[in-house]
Amino acid sequence: MAKKSVWSDNRFWQRSAAWITGFASILLIWLTFDTIPQITMGTDADLKQGVTKRVPGPTVINYKITYEMNAKRMHEIPVIGGMNAEGTSAFEEKELFFGRDDWSEEEASELLHLGKLGSQAKNCMDCHTLLGNGAYYAPDLTKAWLDPAWGPEGSMQAITGKSTKEEAMAEFLQHPSNYPTHARMMPNLGITEKEAHGLVAFLKHMSSIDTNGFPRNFGKIQGAVHGK
Amino acid sequence: MANNYLTTESKKLATWYFTFAAIIFGAQLLFGLVAAIQYVMPGFLFEIIDFSIARILHINALVVWMVFAMIGSVYWLLPDETGIETVGIGLGKLLYWVFVAAIVIVILVFLLVQVGPADQTTIWFITEGREYIEAPRWADIGIVIVVLGFIYNLYATGMKGNRSGIITVLMADMLAFAGIYLAGMGYTDNISVDQYWWWWVIHLWVEATWEVFVGAIAAYGLITMIGAHRKVVEMWLWIEVAMLFGSGILGIGHHYFWIGTPEYWWEIGALFSALEPLPLVAMFVHVLYDWGKMQGEQNAQGKEISVITNKPAFTWFVLNAFGNFLGAGIWGFFHTLPQVNLYTHGTQFTSAHGHLAFFGAYATILIGMFYLAVQGKNGIKIMKSTKKSIWATSMIVGGVMGMTIALTIAGYVQVLVSRAQMGATWAGYFDGQAGMWFAQGMDWRLLMGVITFVGFLILVADLLSIGKADHHER
Amino acid sequence: MVETVIMTNDILAEDFLTIFISSTLVLIFGGFYVGIYTAVKVNLLKKWTMPIAYIFWALTGYCMYVMGSLMHINTFTAKALVVAAFGLLLLPHAVYYMQHKVHEENKH
Repeated sequence: MAKKSVWSDNRFWQRSAAWITGFASILLIWLTFDTIPQITMGTDADLKQGVTKRVPGPTVINYKITYEMNAKRMHEIPVIGGMNAEGTSAFEEKELFFGRDDWSEEEASELLHLGKLGSQAKNCMDCHTLLGNGAYYAPDLTKAWLDPAWGPEGSMQAITGKSTKEEAMAEFLQHPSNYPTHARMMPNLGITEKEAHGLVAFLKHMSSIDTNGFPRNFGKIQGAVHGK
Repeated sequence: MANNYLTTESKKLATWYFTFAAIIFGAQLLFGLVAAIQYVMPGFLFEIIDFSIARILHINALVVWMVFAMIGSVYWLLPDETGIETVGIGLGKLLYWVFVAAIVIVILVFLLVQVGPADQTTIWFITEGREYIEAPRWADIGIVIVVLGFIYNLYATGMKGNRSGIITVLMADMLAFAGIYLAGMGYTDNISVDQYWWWWVIHLWVEATWEVFVGAIAAYGLITMIGAHRKVVEMWLWIEVAMLFGSGILGIGHHYFWIGTPEYWWEIGALFSALEPLPLVAMFVHVLYDWGKMQGEQNAQGKEISVITNKPAFTWFVLNAFGNFLGAGIWGFFHTLPQVNLYTHGTQFTSAHGHLAFFGAYATILIGMFYLAVQGKNGIKIMKSTKKSIWATSMIVGGVMGMTIALTIAGYVQVLVSRAQMGATWAGYFDGQAGMWFAQGMDWRLLMGVITFVGFLILVADLLSIGKADHHER
Repeated sequence: MVETVIMTNDILAEDFLTIFISSTLVLIFGGFYVGIYTAVKVNLLKKWTMPIAYIFWALTGYCMYVMGSLMHINTFTAKALVVAAFGLLLLPHAVYYMQHKVHEENKH
C-alpha cells in the first residue's frame, strides 16, 4: 500500500481549484476597473480641449475623422479634426454632418442614442460585424464611415443621387433594396428617416473609436494587388 | 409509456428537458440550413425570413437547446449522485413549463415580428439585437427566475443528500453560469462598453462555465458507463476546474483586442489563449486513460468483454473529448494570437471555429446524455449500438467536419482577399465573397449541412426506437 | 528609422497559409505527443515507441517557432508560447504520476 501523497488528495486539488479560480476572477475584476474608465465615452469638453479618448464623445460627429498609420503605436489610429505634428488628433478641422457642424452635446447624444438603439432593434449584428463581432453575411461596419465607396470618389453617392456621404448612407438605409450593389442585398427593415440619421451618427461615432488598428489598412489599398 | 423504469421524478423531469432540447436542436439545424441556402442563393426567402432572422433563430436555438439539455442532465444525475429524490421537484416541473412557454413566445416573435422601431419597447419586447442573447428583456428576466428556481433545487438537493465532488462542482458552476447572464442584460449607448460586458456572458459561458459543466458530466459518464473509480475521476475533475478556470477566465482577453479596450489585453489574451488548449488536451487524455485502465483491469481478470455499459452514449462522450480538443483547441488556437487575429477577426474562420467548437465541446456530450436517458428509461443494463446509431453518428460528425473545413477554406480566401489585400472595405468584402474558392466553400457547407440534418433525423429515429431493440442486456 | 520599419509588421499575404498550417500542426503534433505517451502508459503501444512521442513534442516546438516568427510576434507573446510548450511537455507526466498514485492507493 502506497502512502498518502498530497498530489492524490482530493481536498488539495479542490482547494487549488478554488484558489486559482478566485485569483483569476479577482484579476479580471481588477482589470475591469482599469478598462472601463478607459473606454467610457468622452465629452464635448474633451474634444474642445484636445483630450484624446479611446471612445470620444458624441459631438465627434462635428469633426472630420480619418484613419492614419501611427509610427509610435505601429498601427492605424482614428485621427479626429486633422493630424497634429505627433501624428495624432488635432481636434481642429470640422466637417458638416447633415448640413451642420455645431451639433450640441445634447443633440449629438440624442442622435447617437437613437442610432445605437436602432442598431439593436434592426438586428444589424446578425448580418454585419460591429467592431468585428457579429455575423459575416455583410461587410464589417467598424470603419464603414471611412469607406471610400461612400466618399466623393465612390459609387454610392451617385447611385443614391445624394451629394454627401451622410445623406447617401441615410438614403440607402431607408430603401436598401432600391440600390442593390450585389446579388446579396440588404432587406428593407422599416428604418425611418430619423432612425437613419441616428444610425449614420452611430456609424460615424464608431469610426472614431480607437480599435488598436483593426481593421488593418482600411481603405488604403485600392485594387487587389498586394504591395509586393 | 407502459413500461417506464424511471423510479425518480427527477429523472422523469430530465426526460422532459431532453425532449424539448431535441426539438429545438432540430429547429436550430433547420434555420441553419435556411441561412446556408441564402449564402448560395441570396434571393431565397428575401424579405420573408432574411438571413439575420434565420441566423438569430439558428444561434439562439443552439443556446436554448443546450441550456435545456444541460438542466436536464443535472436533473438526471442528481438522484444518482445524491442518493435522494430531488428537493422541490414540483417547482422544477412548473418552471419547466414556464421556460418552454417563454421560449416558444420568443421564437414566434423573432419569426413573425422580427424587428421594431429604435426605442426601448423593442429592447423589452422584440429583440435586444445582441448576438447570441437577442432574447428581449422580459425573457431575460424570466430566464433568470427559472434558472434561480433550478439552482434552488440543485442546492437544496445537494445539501440534503450526499454532496459528491461532482455535485459540488456543479453547484458552484451553475451559480456562476446564472450570475454571469446578468452582465448581458443592460443597455448602453457606448458600443465598446456594450461589447465588453457582452463578452462576459458569451466568453465566460462557453469558454469557462460550460466547459467545467462538460468536465462534470464527463466525470459522471465515466463512473456510470465504464465504472471508473470515483476518487480518480473526482480528483481529475478538480484539476480540470483549476486548469479551465485558470486559463479560461482571463482568456476573455482575446475578445478585447479590437473593441476599443486598451492594448494590454493583447498580452493577457495571447498568454491565456495559448494556455487554453492545455486543459482540453488533459480532458482528452483523462478519458482515454481511464478507459484503457478499466479495460485493462477487466482483461486482467480474464474477462475479455467491454467495460462499456452504453455503447452509443460512450461513443458520443469520446467524440466529445476529441471534438473539444479539435474544435475549441485547434480551431480556436490558430486564430487566437493578436498578430494573426487582426486579419481573421470577423471572418468565416470564426464561423468555422464556432461550428466545430459548439458541436465538439457541447452537442456531442449532450447527445450522449440523451442516450443515457434512453437507457435508464427502458431499464437496459448494457445498451448496444444499432445500425441507426452508427449512421447517425457518422453522418452528423462527417457533416459538421465537412462544414467546418468548407468554412475554413472560405475564411482563408476572405483573410487573403478581403483583409490582407483589400483592407476590409465594402468593395474588399464583396471581392472576397466572389472568390471561386469562397463560393465553392459555401456550396460544400450547404451540402454538408444537409448531411448533418439527415443525420439528425436518423438520430431522432434511433433515440425513439433503440430502447425497444432486443439485442441489449436487460 | 521608425518610419521605415512601420509597414513591415504586416503579415505577408503568402505567409498566411504557412501560419495556419503550422499553428494547426502545433496542436496536432502536441496531440500525438500526448496520445502516444498515454497509449504507452496504458500498454496500448509498445515501450519502444516512447521516443516517437518526444519527437512529436520537438516538432510541436518547431511549428510554434515557425508560426511565431512569420506572425512577427512580440517578445511577450514569444515567452507565453514557450511557457505553453513546456506546460505541454510536463502535462502528461504530471497526469500519469497522479493517476498512478491514486490507483495504487485505491487498489487495497
